[in-house]
Amino acid sequence: MVGFLRAFAAASAVPAAAAAACALSSFSSSSSSGPSTSKLRFPLPASFLSASASSTSGRAPNAVPPMAAASAAATADLAAPDKESALPELTTEFMVDMKCEGCVTAVKNKLQTLEGIKNIEVDLPNQVVRVLGSLPMKTMLDALQQTGRDARLIGQGNPNDFLVSAAVAEFKGPVVFGVVRLAQVNMELARVEATFSGLSPGKHGWSINEFGDLTRGAESTGKVYNPPDYEADMALGDLGTLEAGDNGEAHFSGSKEKLRVVDLIGRSVALYATEDRSDPGIAAAVIARSAGVGENYKKLCTCDGVTIWESS
Amino acid sequence: MAAQTFLLAPPAALFAAPSSSARPFHSLRLVAGPGGAAAARALVLADATKKAVAVLKGTSEVEGVVTLTQEDDGPTTVNVRVTGLTPGLHGFHLHEFGDTTNGCISTGPHFNPNNMTHGAPEDEVRHAGDLGNIVANAEGVAEATIVDNQIPLSGTNSVVGRAFVVHELEDDLGKGGHELSLSTGNAGGRLACGVVGLTPL
Repeated sequence: MVGFLRAFAAASAVPAAAAAACALSSFSSSSSSGPSTSKLRFPLPASFLSASASSTSGRAPNAVPPMAAASAAATADLAAPDKESALPELTTEFMVDMKCEGCVTAVKNKLQTLEGIKNIEVDLPNQVVRVLGSLPMKTMLDALQQTGRDARLIGQGNPNDFLVSAAVAEFKGPVVFGVVRLAQVNMELARVEATFSGLSPGKHGWSINEFGDLTRGAESTGKVYNPPDYEADMALGDLGTLEAGDNGEAHFSGSKEKLRVVDLIGRSVALYATEDRSDPGIAAAVIARSAGVGENYKKLCTCDGVTIWESS
Repeated sequence: MAAQTFLLAPPAALFAAPSSSARPFHSLRLVAGPGGAAAARALVLADATKKAVAVLKGTSEVEGVVTLTQEDDGPTTVNVRVTGLTPGLHGFHLHEFGDTTNGCISTGPHFNPNNMTHGAPEDEVRHAGDLGNIVANAEGVAEATIVDNQIPLSGTNSVVGRAFVVHELEDDLGKGGHELSLSTGNAGGRLACGVVGLTPL
């Protein structure tokens, strides 16, 4: 169970030995929590556990359509999430369209309604909002956009801590679209957050595969990534299953022990039609370097309300 | 084949756990272990050649495949085939990030680890990612082989996980006198981009 995916365990880093217990307790608390647990928190911890611990499979989230929460996200964001469902703490930088001190206050006030936020810094000249917290990136992004402002994630990680702290894999369609973000929390733990659309409803296996070769789609990405020094029942790159709702969307927020973002650069995330990944795979995306905290102040042009990078 | 066979084996005990997050991917293969002459040869082979590939896509019909090969610490050979272009020259660069979540724009600036200004591939002063122009023929197909010393496939300045971008216009190689010449070569919009991914050897 070392290296087990510790979805929604307590905020701070926990020694690997305690991971299993931690994950189990967070599972029960998340399943007993009310509707305030948003779609990001809900579906995946349970499906991960159902894949790795059969005794809990009866509690897989079939009873509640995961995507039912999607339309309720706006209100769910304002509700207090239960503490156990928090992710490991991380700094996330957003570029937010702010023109005045009033905007700064509005943004800060909005973010402060979210539970799990430790610190908020706003840099008005650079239009950057830097948030230290333990909540899913999407919850923050939704909140920022609810203030009526354009907001985009521009960096993730712990400042000055890692050479490579953040990575992203983007699924560009034409059928499956999605974004997977990986961020190093500490040497032993990485955050994994994903959003997909265009999937067929039901369960899909997904994994980090050893190659980032997309010349034949998912088929040319090789086997599930498993470093030689990693010993466990499941390969390190095995991400379990995702459950897509009737609208074809699937979301995941969690963290995984022993995952080092720097070792994943240039590999891929692959999605499969089946739960056991017995098919060649339906889509894949290369794991790319993305900006860590403070690496992306180069921009900027707010013409037509869209903030972009200055250089091309 | 020998190289792959060795790499697929579970030699957990032979490999020291990497202690630094800065260790490049390929360094995992450098750790020598007992295993006889065949394994030793395999290790040399595995380390000698590095390969990567990027599949380029964009919002238009422009698309392409770029393969990269590097022997030892030698130059990297880049084979480019891009289709759907307008005939003529198009800026072709490696950008710092492989992030395409906001289109090809979010790949950031040209990869520039040495903090230089924009230039031609043969210039002393250039971004590492400045690969000049590719030329599309009357059918809109650009094919090129570029050999370059500043885009290694491992180490701190590895280009794996970064992105190739094909631009709308010609890269003036820093010599156009435009205000953007020294930052971007004034090469215009980004037609297609693709992340450099690892491939089997």
